[in-house]
Amino acid sequence: MILPYFLRLLCLCFASFFVLNASAGLLVCIASKSAFRFADSRTPSAAAGFLLVLRVLPLIIASFFVLGLCVPSYFSFEPALTAEHVSILCLVLGLLGALTWFLSIARIAHSLFASVRHNRLCQLASQEMRLSGRSSALLVVENETPLLALSGLLRPRLLVSRGVLRVLSAEELDAALSHEDAHRSSRDNAKRLLLLLAPDIFPFVRTHHALERGWSKFAEWAADDQAAAGDSRRALSLAAALVRVARLGSSPRLPYLSTSLLAGDRDLSARVDRLLQASPAAQATHARPPHPRPLFRAAGFLFVGGLTLLLFTPPALSFVHELLEHLLR
Amino acid sequence: MMRFLKHRAAPNADWNQSLALGSLEYELMEILWERGECSVRDVVFKLSRTLAYTTVMTTLDRLFKKGLLDRHKSDRAFVYSPSFSRQEWERKRAGNLVAGFLSGPNTSRELLLSCLLDAVGEHDATLLDELEKKIRSRRKGLSRPGQP
Repeated sequence: MILPYFLRLLCLCFASFFVLNASAGLLVCIASKSAFRFADSRTPSAAAGFLLVLRVLPLIIASFFVLGLCVPSYFSFEPALTAEHVSILCLVLGLLGALTWFLSIARIAHSLFASVRHNRLCQLASQEMRLSGRSSALLVVENETPLLALSGLLRPRLLVSRGVLRVLSAEELDAALSHEDAHRSSRDNAKRLLLLLAPDIFPFVRTHHALERGWSKFAEWAADDQAAAGDSRRALSLAAALVRVARLGSSPRLPYLSTSLLAGDRDLSARVDRLLQASPAAQATHARPPHPRPLFRAAGFLFVGGLTLLLFTPPALSFVHELLEHLLR
Repeated sequence: MMRFLKHRAAPNADWNQSLALGSLEYELMEILWERGECSVRDVVFKLSRTLAYTTVMTTLDRLFKKGLLDRHKSDRAFVYSPSFSRQEWERKRAGNLVAGFLSGPNTSRELLLSCLLDAVGEHDATLLDELEKKIRSRRKGLSRPGQP
């Protein structure tokens, strides 16, 4: 099939994105068992960060290749404004790549729309309340559902139902709200958006579900630890809050871009056991947000910068162009 | 409750009706699931009560027409065998029952869902009781002097 210059570039970009994303995604799938074992040995926040990076790694690799190598090499070495044949394979891969992106964007649009709509409805049916010692206001929804959640992306709001306020003591409510504050400070809703953007190996096939669930579990544990702040009594209050809220019934269905106190009800038992068993010292260690040492950070920046410079040299771009020519024909 | 569900879902679909069995039909199916292949005479001999040959023959013919039995001729007599294993039959029946409720009016759906939620809720209540007990005992431990 003959395609003009820019359409061919678009086809090449989508095709190479699909191939790289699928290959890297497959490797991630294969490595996921070992990754879970490694994550189990880390603190919850480090484990959550590690699983998130692993989940979005195929997207990062594929995007870096396409934007950093495929496009520059095409503009540098492809004769301008020519029309050339494109193989059926390249066309099919390009269509699959385009479909992959379309699905990711549709997922994001749907979740953003659902989140905005949910927040608007909650604002209409709620009253704003300020608690002493808390900077952010609560939106109190007048019902008895077990709702205690942080909803929204740019300005996440704390939603609490009247039922939850009724059953929790002051300490328990404080611990539960601290849990949601921890989600806010670690920008977990924004990370959820990143998970929606990261495509699976093939369109319509959920291949990284286990990784996403793993991330969600560790993100909850990390928020629990941050809320407990190494204090056994606070951990106990949070555990009691979890059980009291669970007693109110099944959690209401929330948009994907929100975190709730009882996220993933099936993990409740494990979370309560953790809060009851962990020693304050251990929790304090877990509560610390991960700060990579400056030396490691500088080394990482140097490595990535050097690699980028090396890849942008003409021989590297020429090699990439040759590869792309093979894909085209 | 199960009897009620059976009663509600049965009239909805033809397939559901064919899967629903009367007591004699069920008895004959039991024999065929156990033995695999049987002629009418074999089934009559296997029955725990005395029934006329023609009654058994008619019932087996009805099961064949419902699609629950296969048959082939051997020496001028039919030999019957079950079309589904007992597990397959039970799975199909359960699936049809749920599908019947879900395709019905909202009230049927809500009824089914509330039954399922009740069952899950009972399990949850036990779990929450256990967790609460653990929290109480930990609280007691913490209130003792010398605890962190």
